Amino acid sequence: MGFAGKVSGVFILTFIVYVVFSGSITAYDLITGAVVALVTSLITANLVVSNPNKLFQVKRFGWLLAYSIRYFFVDEVRAHLDVMRRILHPRMPINPGIVKIPYEVVSDYAMLTIANSITNTPGTVVVDVFPEEKAFYVHWINAVVTEPEKARESVSKVFERFAKRIFD
Amino acid sequence: MRIKKFLVLSSLIILVLTLSLAFTKGALGHYPLPLPGVRLLASWYLFTTLNPQYPVFTAMSPEAVTAIVWDYRGLDTLFETAVFFLAIVGALALMRGISLKSALNNASNRVGDGGLSLICKTAARLLTPLIIVVSASIALHGHLTPGGGFQGGSAAAVAPLLVLVIFSVYFLLSKGVSEKPMLILRTVGLVGIYLTALAAVLIGLFTGLNAYVFQNQPKPDAPLGLPAQISGALISGSLLFFNVFEYLAVAGGFTLVFILLSIPEEVVKSFIGGETHE
Repeated sequence: MGFAGKVSGVFILTFIVYVVFSGSITAYDLITGAVVALVTSLITANLVVSNPNKLFQVKRFGWLLAYSIRYFFVDEVRAHLDVMRRILHPRMPINPGIVKIPYEVVSDYAMLTIANSITNTPGTVVVDVFPEEKAFYVHWINAVVTEPEKARESVSKVFERFAKRIFD
Repeated sequence: MRIKKFLVLSSLIILVLTLSLAFTKGALGHYPLPLPGVRLLASWYLFTTLNPQYPVFTAMSPEAVTAIVWDYRGLDTLFETAVFFLAIVGALALMRGISLKSALNNASNRVGDGGLSLICKTAARLLTPLIIVVSASIALHGHLTPGGGFQGGSAAAVAPLLVLVIFSVYFLLSKGVSEKPMLILRTVGLVGIYLTALAAVLIGLFTGLNAYVFQNQPKPDAPLGLPAQISGALISGSLLFFNVFEYLAVAGGFTLVFILLSIPEEVVKSFIGGETHE
């Protein structure tokens, strides 16, 4: 694998993004896209990918797809409904606080997936990450528990399960 | 607090009411649209910009803005580019001889230390190539859709800027994105722009045919011109080349200035401070 594997992974990603952003599939788009994607992937391959072998394990993409559907149609909807209820409720029942939430994943991208999943759902925002402690500090609109393990149970358990299978 | 809120709210309401009253009473003059003569000029551009039936006037590009910028008034854009690069030359002249090379070897500036959190760093790693391809698409489709070389180049410069802020300027330099390569990129872009502007004339010199500086499509007295299409794909003659070279020049130029601006004051002082002070 090595460098060629890294380059081909970044090439496929950047080529798709180029064509989708251009919004048309003519020979001009495909040729310029291939040239641009090749140059870009040669420059950035080492920055983006550290273990190219993972790029060719199809199972990971299956988990990615499953997670995308689950995240956008279950977790996002649930979080939005909860925050909407809190905003519209006459007494505005919020109980804000910052809790420590540990994580167990190894790779940076898995950590990023969990962090962005927490931040992107309304009601929870990752304030900071401590890689040495393997923990996030999360601002939670309804901090019902403060013990790290229990908070993790209700905030990031699902995200972590999927992130581990996609990136670790 | 209550009075402040009331004042803010009432001033907003008064602003909206005053503006709507002014507009309905004709504050913009009696011609809220451009004058008919001006509109005639606009429709002339739109009529000729991609019109093979009028080969004398057409720029062979469906994107009228790029056609005007690089063909109808190309000389103006050339000097705009020159002004922008004079500004960069000025920045380079001010910072001459000052370099971060020595600070790069300093142990405290080792790559990986400092910068924003690991979340930002990981996201930036993934975003960098995506920013570059999107910006390239803006530049390479400048003759077809809104965008162009300057817009694409500015967007491309966001990638090194992100790395510079999220990691550190030393990380950027250690990856080879330093002053000299960016200067070379900028110079290649500028040379390309000038060669494109002179392309028809250079061909004319060798073939003995009449040609103009900044010529794009063939004209009646100057049969030379750059190809509007390459095997069916519309490239609009010189417009694609101008956009590509402007992209390189602007991306290199902006990155160069970002690097120069991020040189810490202590480093600048260590170069220009002199030895008179203890």
